Amino acid sequence: MHDHERVGDGPVDLGATATRGAAGRLSARWAAPALAACGYGWWAVGLAPFSLAASLAVVLAGGAAAVLGSRARRRATLPADRRRIVPWLVLIAAGGAVQLAAYLQHPRVDHPTLSSLTNALLDSHAARAAAFVAWLVATAELARR
Amino acid sequence: MTRTFTLLGYAVVAAAAVGLEIAARRGAWATFGDAVSVAARRRPIRVLLIAGWLWLGWHIFVRVDWG
Repeated sequence: MHDHERVGDGPVDLGATATRGAAGRLSARWAAPALAACGYGWWAVGLAPFSLAASLAVVLAGGAAAVLGSRARRRATLPADRRRIVPWLVLIAAGGAVQLAAYLQHPRVDHPTLSSLTNALLDSHAARAAAFVAWLVATAELARR
Repeated sequence: MTRTFTLLGYAVVAAAAVGLEIAARRGAWATFGDAVSVAARRRPIRVLLIAGWLWLGWHIFVRVDWG
């Protein structure tokens, strides 16, 4: 190997090491909370449906995620031009209309609501736990906005 | 047939959402995240959004019989 090649490689290696170190610290910082959330999610979705324990497990965890998200709230940097969000409002209204039309009609198998479709998707314990953790993350993200 | 129509309705809304998000990332409209951020600037709307989201979680993960 020529000298100029060694000189060129040096800083890249150092940079890569520093990046790996930062990524490692970041991973270590988030690994424990992520594992705890997964464990909690697995336990929470295993509680008896309609029970007070299940209600508390879900609502308290969601509330905690909302509080954590609020503490890390972003500063408003977007222009407050409400016209730019109108398409989303129209779309939400359209989705709500489809959902309402299905909800008001029976039988449910012919008129599935989003709830009934979600229940079918979350048939396994693992899927429910994963969805619960995703919901917690989304709760924190929503509160951060 | 009615089930197909209902599912088609959801699919059209979902496809429109994806299309709108793609158009928004090109600068035409607000992205979904930006729209939520703009809406959440008003405290009552922010509280309603979070309360509604918590209710949705309770509805999905508690108020259901997994059989």
